[in-house]
Amino acid sequence: MTSHPYAFLALFLGVALAFPLAMLAVAQLWVRFFQRAKPGPLKNATYECGLAPTGDSWIQFKAHYYLYAIFFLIFDVEVLFLLPFAVAFTALPTGALVAMLAFILLLAEGLVWAWHRGYLEWQ
Amino acid sequence: METLEQIRDRLQARFSGAPVTLVTNPGPAAEHSLLLDAASAREIALFLRDDPALRLDYCSNVTGVDWPEKEIVETTKVSQPDPAGGSARIVEQKTKRLQPGCLEVVYHLYSMARKHGPVILRLRTGNRTNQVTLPSLTPVWRSCEFQEREVFDLYGVVFDGHPDLRRILMWDGFQDHPMRKDYVAPDDFEWEPTAHGEVLERAKAHLPKVEEPES
Amino acid sequence: MSDESASPPAAPTDAERDELRRHGILLTSLEELHNWGRSNSIWPLQFGLACCAIEMIATATARFDIARFGAEIFRPSPRQADLMIVSGTVTKKMAPQVVRLWNQMPEPKYCIAMGACAISGGPFKQGYNVLKGIDRFIPVDIYIPGCPPRPEALLNGLIELQKKIRAERLTGPDAARHTRPEEPSEFPVPEFGAHDLVPPNNPEVWQAPTLPRPGKA
Repeated sequence: MTSHPYAFLALFLGVALAFPLAMLAVAQLWVRFFQRAKPGPLKNATYECGLAPTGDSWIQFKAHYYLYAIFFLIFDVEVLFLLPFAVAFTALPTGALVAMLAFILLLAEGLVWAWHRGYLEWQ
Repeated sequence: METLEQIRDRLQARFSGAPVTLVTNPGPAAEHSLLLDAASAREIALFLRDDPALRLDYCSNVTGVDWPEKEIVETTKVSQPDPAGGSARIVEQKTKRLQPGCLEVVYHLYSMARKHGPVILRLRTGNRTNQVTLPSLTPVWRSCEFQEREVFDLYGVVFDGHPDLRRILMWDGFQDHPMRKDYVAPDDFEWEPTAHGEVLERAKAHLPKVEEPES
Repeated sequence: MSDESASPPAAPTDAERDELRRHGILLTSLEELHNWGRSNSIWPLQFGLACCAIEMIATATARFDIARFGAEIFRPSPRQADLMIVSGTVTKKMAPQVVRLWNQMPEPKYCIAMGACAISGGPFKQGYNVLKGIDRFIPVDIYIPGCPPRPEALLNGLIELQKKIRAERLTGPDAARHTRPEEPSEFPVPEFGAHDLVPPNNPEVWQAPTLPRPGKA
């Protein structure tokens, strides 16, 4: 009986699933038998240093965070493409060089646009 | 620094018509003070702060005093003629008068520029019930702001011209003024293990009655 | 084989346990493990009100070192804390906030009243703004007398709390407060009245201890 070469992975997967599930199950059993949850309106009230909470607890999300994340993503992916280009730079034909230059120019134009529009300033 | 009498004379000369009285303090500290009139207090305060000789630019303390009304009994010796036609007798006659109470605010002023002081000012309200307004000296000395709020909270003196007059120690819905002499504390004297004096009197209402043993 | 006394074998005594432990055998129970973990990592709420708070800070410094008891992580948020050390005078203006913070702590939670003011109002008991003891509104587990108690006294109180936690059981008459569903985990917050807090105390939490003295008729 030859065992399948990936059999240990199945075992690994099984243990990886069973272990946290078992811990969660033990925690749930503990709650059910020993320590019932005691929620209440005062207990679940929003924390405001001991004062009665006033105002909305949902604050407005700053759109600037989203912009920064998007710009980071774009330029990070660009770097990812530039890395093999830099490694194989000396062995590339001219056509590839021109194509990569077009790629870099497109993204540089995006950077200039963002800079000019002031999206790189933090408010 | 000039003496308090000199300051009083200068003030009276400059603010003619403003009564400035010197109140002596019989204690060993001899901290005599100037009693000002409410109407002229603000201008006198500005003068004291800006005068080049005094430059009292730091108000270090504002306190309140509650003077309840006091019955003063004066005994005078009066010579009464004898109705039977003899020599005049000297009889002691007691006259009672009621000194009205008031609330008083005391300011301690120092000079940071000239490094002298203190000069102590007093302002008195009309009475303790409905004439409790005094001019606020916060526009003159910024440090009076919170302290006048405290005097308002604890004594009930309303300061006219204060930028933000509300209670500072007690909560906003509190009704009484705790530092007045006639303040009665709420009844939470259930557990007073070492009570004596006034606290014992209040705590007695909560003590359980012990059955007297039948003899 | 029937025994005369059909009782189950008694639990091993501490001496027997130490003997076994020396041989490398550790005997324990679920409750013990649970309580051992909880008592050696009590996280206090960073809650200082007055002078006793300075002594609490001193206890957290290197000389007196509350860290050796596992309690150096003072949490800023009540949601992460399981011990509230009420250190300092509780003014009536502050009392609702103390009760709200107590309510927002998750179970299991413990309260230490540190210092005379938190126990009964302290030297300022007759003050117009002083609450005569925080145990009028929330249940207190350990009282530490002193004005202020020395850091060693606070550590002694912490050790007593650890002993109390270790004596808690999961079921039965000695069951801990957090395992019993009928014990409340939140307490009504007092409101500001015209002359005093409304209510001035919580009768379910606090009854004045009776002092049998002859009263006036």
